[in-house]
Amino acid sequence: MISIDNVTVGYGTVGFITAVDQVSLTIGDNEIVGIAGESGSGKSTLMRAIYGDFSTGLGIKSGTIAGRFTDAASDQTIEKPSSQFRDLWWDQISYIPQGSMSVLNPLMKIEQQVVDGLPKRERGGSRKDLRARIAKFLAGFGLEENVLDAYPHQLSGGMRQRVLVAIAAFVNPRLILADEPTTALDVVVQKKILLMMVEIQRRLQNTLVLVSHDLGVHYQITDRLVIMYKGKIVEAGRTADIFANPQHDYTRNLIASLPRLHGQRAVDRVGAGA
Amino acid sequence: MPLLRYIAGRLVVYGLVIIFALTVLFFVPRLGPTDPVEAMLAKVASQGAYMDPAQVDTLRQSLIDTFGLGGSLWEQYGAFVNRIIFSADFGPSLSMYPTPVMELIWNALPWTFGLLLSSTLIAWVLGNFVGLLSGWRPNANSSRVMEGIAICLYPIPYYILALVLSILFSYVWKIFPLTTTIRGAPWSWELVTSIVWNSFLPAMSIVIVVFGWWVISVKAQTTALKEEEFSRYARLKGLSDGRILTRYILPNAILPQITFLALQIGLMFNGSLITEILFDYPGLGLLIYTAVLQGDFNLLMGTISLSVIAVATATMIIDLIYPLLDPRIRHR
Repeated sequence: MISIDNVTVGYGTVGFITAVDQVSLTIGDNEIVGIAGESGSGKSTLMRAIYGDFSTGLGIKSGTIAGRFTDAASDQTIEKPSSQFRDLWWDQISYIPQGSMSVLNPLMKIEQQVVDGLPKRERGGSRKDLRARIAKFLAGFGLEENVLDAYPHQLSGGMRQRVLVAIAAFVNPRLILADEPTTALDVVVQKKILLMMVEIQRRLQNTLVLVSHDLGVHYQITDRLVIMYKGKIVEAGRTADIFANPQHDYTRNLIASLPRLHGQRAVDRVGAGA
Repeated sequence: MPLLRYIAGRLVVYGLVIIFALTVLFFVPRLGPTDPVEAMLAKVASQGAYMDPAQVDTLRQSLIDTFGLGGSLWEQYGAFVNRIIFSADFGPSLSMYPTPVMELIWNALPWTFGLLLSSTLIAWVLGNFVGLLSGWRPNANSSRVMEGIAICLYPIPYYILALVLSILFSYVWKIFPLTTTIRGAPWSWELVTSIVWNSFLPAMSIVIVVFGWWVISVKAQTTALKEEEFSRYARLKGLSDGRILTRYILPNAILPQITFLALQIGLMFNGSLITEILFDYPGLGLLIYTAVLQGDFNLLMGTISLSVIAVATATMIIDLIYPLLDPRIRHR
């Protein structure tokens, strides 16, 4: 699906600030890949580079990111570098942003925000049919039909985030990139939304890339996990293996820092620095 | 239900503003040292007419009645508010006796409204259009030129600009008439062209100055909205620039501009005074000016009250339109 080959990504046109340093990674079909790391580790930059969002001075210095998509309808294979992914946005690739108050247009009804940007293949039929299909789709997220006629300010934070997940999934893409999709939510709502994302991925049999600093989130839903630190991938592998047997010190510390239900955090017992 | 409450709230504020303005209008002249009745009597006496004391008393009494100055202050106030609100009667004009003040106002009002409304709206539409485009591409050369022009224009006091336009285009190059003379039978083509021809310079003096302000303010809005998360999300959805501009940026940028428009209409009423005097334009401004020069007390009260009511009404209408445009007010 996506092959990242020894890529260095960073910002700036005059001077160059490296954010992702010589990273190689392969993302396969039909899997959930998590990218974890602290603030400034380069995980969001890597995600933007995969999405092909080369604005605000973001650029690839060396290496390549290439994608290979098989269009479900025509069965044609499309191969492109990520710098040309723009044509595939909201067609083969969609994106779930971190749902803040201002990520949806405050003056547009939810229905229009779902429809805006939909590829032709998902638009078929009359406006009424489309509305009925969207309503049915939203029902799967526990959202009632009247949400379609609501404006963003009338929804709660959790509802808005579910709407964002639904918008990205309704496109029926081969690849969904999610940038901290549950960060601003309480754990109960977070859990619900994560389960929805897994459910969608299993149904569409596509690829989900999830960027989050929260290891708990990764533990719950990802198949494979990539740990980033200072722009480099320090560890990658099956999520269960990484949690059972972390190889790198940084990963070990990350896992040790998770709060535990019983007893002290591992980090307090180990007292490890760095 | 919240919408009804919003409308009711606006209507109450509207009523209060008018009552307050009329109250100020009533009391301020009475704080001054001049007594309009004695001033009038002195004026008559200075014209050399001889009157015996009994005649002077009769005249004084009739003037007191005409000006509504009989009885205690509160009685006068009650009668004043009553007369304006329920019968819209300001009495006869003193300088153009016995033409009623309301008749003079009704003749002048369409001119002022036509001039102000058309020039304000033209400037608003043009300014917002140019500002939106230059905010969208702030680094394009055309945007920089437009911004430069706007920054040069907007600090110019409009009466200076009006004077310059008048000197250049009516005196140096005799393209437009120096003073307003309207010709033509009612509702004839000649009348329409004559009105447009005579209104062009006064309108331009308003349009040019206000235009700069609209460009600058909407440009700042657009630049900020472009960086909003919903604009970025729309871009990452692969939407075209045109669609992002018209459906995401424009509606959000235009909302505060509508509030400014309401304020602008209030300011324009002051502005029209000097514009109308400079171009000898037969509107409300010129009428106020005449009233002040001639000491026409009734006419002054009438024109100022009407300006207050007109501005309050325009503001209220815009406030009532606002919920149609902003769902955050419509569905609170």
